[in-house]
Amino acid sequence: MSTVRTSGKRIGKKREDRSARFFLTGGTGFLGSHIAVGLLRRGYRVTLLVRPSGARRAEDRMLELVDWFGMSEGDRRGLRVVEGDITLPGLGIEPEVYRRLLLETDEIIHCASSTAFSERKRAEVEAVNSGGLTNVLDFARGSGAYFFHHVSTAFVAGMTAGACPEGLVTPGGFWNAYEETKCKGEHAAAAACGEAGLGLTIYRPSIVYGDSRTGRSLLFNAVYYPVRTALFIRDIYEKDIREGGGRKAAEMGVRIEAGGSIHLPLRIEVASEGGIDLVPIDYFTEAFLALMEGTPGGGVFHIVNGRPKRIEDIIDYSCRLFRMTGIRACGPEEFREKPRNPLEALYERYVEAYGPYMRDDRVFETARSQAILGPRGIVCPEFDYGIFARCMNYAIEAGWGSRLF
Amino acid sequence: MIDENARKTAAQCRHYAMCKIDYLETGLCPSGPERHYVAFYPQGRMDLYRALAEDLIPVTEALVEAADTCTLCGICDKQCHFVTGLRPVKVMEALKSHVREHLAAKKPVHRPKEDAVLERLRKIVGDEWATNDPAILFTYADDPFPLAGIQMPRYVILPGSRDEVAAVVALADELKIPFAVRGNGGSVFGFVFTEGIVLDMNRMRKIEFDTDNWCVAVEPGVTSFELQKEASKRGYRVNAAEPAATVCGNIVCTGTFSTWSNVYGTAADGFIDMEFVDRKGKVFRLNDKSAPNVFAFDHAMIPSPGVCTKAVVKLHPVTEDEEGVLVPFADFDRAVAFARDLSQRRIALALAVLGGHYISNFMSPSRELSEKIRDILPGVLGIKYLVFAVADAYGREAIKKMAGTAVIDSALFRTLMLGLPRLADKELAGIAAAYEGDAPPYEILCSPEMRPVVEAVLQPSPETIAGSVDDDLREFYARLYARPEMTDMVWLNMFRIVSARMSRRKHMFAFLIYVPLDRIEVINGIIAGFARIAGARKIEHDFGFLTPMDFGKRAILEYDYYIDHTDPAEKKKIAEAMTEIGPWLDGLAAKTKGVTFLMYVFSQGCSRKENFLYRLG
Repeated sequence: MSTVRTSGKRIGKKREDRSARFFLTGGTGFLGSHIAVGLLRRGYRVTLLVRPSGARRAEDRMLELVDWFGMSEGDRRGLRVVEGDITLPGLGIEPEVYRRLLLETDEIIHCASSTAFSERKRAEVEAVNSGGLTNVLDFARGSGAYFFHHVSTAFVAGMTAGACPEGLVTPGGFWNAYEETKCKGEHAAAAACGEAGLGLTIYRPSIVYGDSRTGRSLLFNAVYYPVRTALFIRDIYEKDIREGGGRKAAEMGVRIEAGGSIHLPLRIEVASEGGIDLVPIDYFTEAFLALMEGTPGGGVFHIVNGRPKRIEDIIDYSCRLFRMTGIRACGPEEFREKPRNPLEALYERYVEAYGPYMRDDRVFETARSQAILGPRGIVCPEFDYGIFARCMNYAIEAGWGSRLF
Repeated sequence: MIDENARKTAAQCRHYAMCKIDYLETGLCPSGPERHYVAFYPQGRMDLYRALAEDLIPVTEALVEAADTCTLCGICDKQCHFVTGLRPVKVMEALKSHVREHLAAKKPVHRPKEDAVLERLRKIVGDEWATNDPAILFTYADDPFPLAGIQMPRYVILPGSRDEVAAVVALADELKIPFAVRGNGGSVFGFVFTEGIVLDMNRMRKIEFDTDNWCVAVEPGVTSFELQKEASKRGYRVNAAEPAATVCGNIVCTGTFSTWSNVYGTAADGFIDMEFVDRKGKVFRLNDKSAPNVFAFDHAMIPSPGVCTKAVVKLHPVTEDEEGVLVPFADFDRAVAFARDLSQRRIALALAVLGGHYISNFMSPSRELSEKIRDILPGVLGIKYLVFAVADAYGREAIKKMAGTAVIDSALFRTLMLGLPRLADKELAGIAAAYEGDAPPYEILCSPEMRPVVEAVLQPSPETIAGSVDDDLREFYARLYARPEMTDMVWLNMFRIVSARMSRRKHMFAFLIYVPLDRIEVINGIIAGFARIAGARKIEHDFGFLTPMDFGKRAILEYDYYIDHTDPAEKKKIAEAMTEIGPWLDGLAAKTKGVTFLMYVFSQGCSRKENFLYRLG
């Protein structure tokens, strides 16, 4: 371990007077963009590393996002965009720009990440979460920066049962490549920062959804996906009933009820315990900034809800909002007695990757994060019907992301 | 007055000659079968309009006739749209209008004088079947091959018999006039042009079955489609080439290869005997002891043995339980290994590894849909390659066991094809793209228990697939796709009517190479080489197909480049690429056993395949 590059006091001071210059990866991602906007609105200077996408230049992508956030001209002043890709050597940045950035960076926030779960996508996940991180850490080592912020996940806990500490962990197994690479990433970041004398904070959110106050979001996976899939199935059969004679719907037991609701006989397997730990993006952003500003010495922090939402409640919300009946939660024993019909089998296959997070009974310790967030009155809101409705209505308005940009 | 849009359409004609076969049961352009010259088919009229627009020919007597005999019946719009997406009727209207204005303005109509040679040619074939009219000549002077310029012949003749062919060839020899033979008047490779006499064999169309000897004799104007149709009616199958290609022309040129070559072989495997007229006008059969040895292969560009006037082609038995299956793969090497395994075990009949580009084009009736499906196959369904096989019930059972659960059988294929526009639905694509399960998404699609759901999602019907074409063609397409054969993989593969769709977006430049199937690294090296050469010049390119041959020991590989043949910049790119490809493949072939560029088989299609698949040196 080498000497720390600068003192906690100086770090705090530079943040306080806004002279700290941030370099942030994953700036067009869900979490990264919210963090970037949060920093800019607080007067920080932020350079974003952004990939071009097809014919769209990095700068154009960022401008679209800035508009989506409704940022004022004043808020945009500290923003700078650099085109690059963390999976490429030298972050894919023009060498001259790269050299300049090394000198002009005080703190690095690493948000870029692949959140794919599937084993099929392991190569892609490893390329981003392991290979990309290595490149970013190389940058950190070569730069004059003194602090590294690593956005990880609460699910580095893997198959751990019960309590999950706010510290580096080495669980016995993982549910998927995402968890595995993120866990390895934490260790790699800790080792590299330790050797290079950089301060390190690891942020571990659980499942992040849209804004609890407005419903707005940029990403519609996780809690959105099962709802979206159910609505897709509903729409197919409703169309069949209304336009195609309804034979296919009748085969599946789908019908339109007297009041106009769609009856969709769909049993969803749930465990007797646990649920899904959900945090809204507004809470995540606020917590991130508070932890960043409040812990110049670094550390590992969970940003979680702590009150897992039961799947039964989400099913209830979905049926209420979208006027559906027939969807219900049941235990595995019921499927042994009556096997899944094709609809249930399809649904199960589509959402099975989310299984470990829907039946979560892990307890993510929050003593360290709460020590910062509690006194500041930063509290994670309950995922209630109102929030659910706002988020899902926005998702539909946004075409589950297809109509955003 | 030239209509620029019509000119552009005319210049895009791919010369696939699909308007010369009745492959959609629409009937043919009425003047074609009566007058036989290419100028009296839509393809010829497209060329004529382009030639007028570019001031390459005057308005001639034959051009006026070609314009007059177009009835604007609209058949060509349906036929051409099916494979290329082009709508030739607008060109036909523009041609007729141009000629009408020319005549109304009392401008001259060119009538070429008969010379002594033409007089002698007409004595042989009859006045009607020999001409030097520039309009007729132009339709045999050019094709979309970007590296050959226009070469006008002096005469075009349409012989009606073997003896007429012999007499014309003897005359050409006497007068030292070069000649070229055109099977169906079509051409895409720039090889069949001459400044002398073009022999268009379109009038020689006899088909004579000898079922006791499991063979059928065909004259050189018979197309693969026509022969397959006749064979199929009688319960047989032939190893057929592209539908509009003539049987004789195809054999002589490269030998017939197709997905069926897995069991039927190629080159000399395809026929029992052939009849030729040699370059002096003498007739010989290959089964004569004194005939030239065309069964041998020379790794060089050599001329054909003469003019083929008859091929006696093998008939193959068909069992009633044959069906097609597709096995999806996310990985090329695995797909190739699977196809090789099937070939070695003698399980499948027709067999090929296809890329997503091919399958999306084959299945889609419009370019727009095919481009969406091309993205959806890998991006949403995880399908990068498909092993296509035709097999009987026993074979399919074996294939299913070997492949595991994910097999697209004939019923699912029909569902997918008739519901294809809904597979491109954004919401379905969005859900499937976000699917995070470990099993490839295509496994869900193929799972038998999912069939009712897949049917509900795709709503397969002739009307659904017809929804992806222009409004005014929808009724026609709905009727077309109500015919079972249009979604039958066996029929589609026997008749190959969708293969010309590969040129729908741009002219396709196909490279074919025989490769050693037990050496995947060689195959991957060739694919990477083609990709590298194309990539360096920004030429669109893609893997085409690979078909195992000779029990999985060898295979034929196709890699394709796509260019706009009307764009000079693209012509330049392909010309540059060719200067690199030739020496590269020659070098590879010299040091790698089993690698032979098909270019060297041109004109040696009668040779024994063993002589080019296993070159002993």
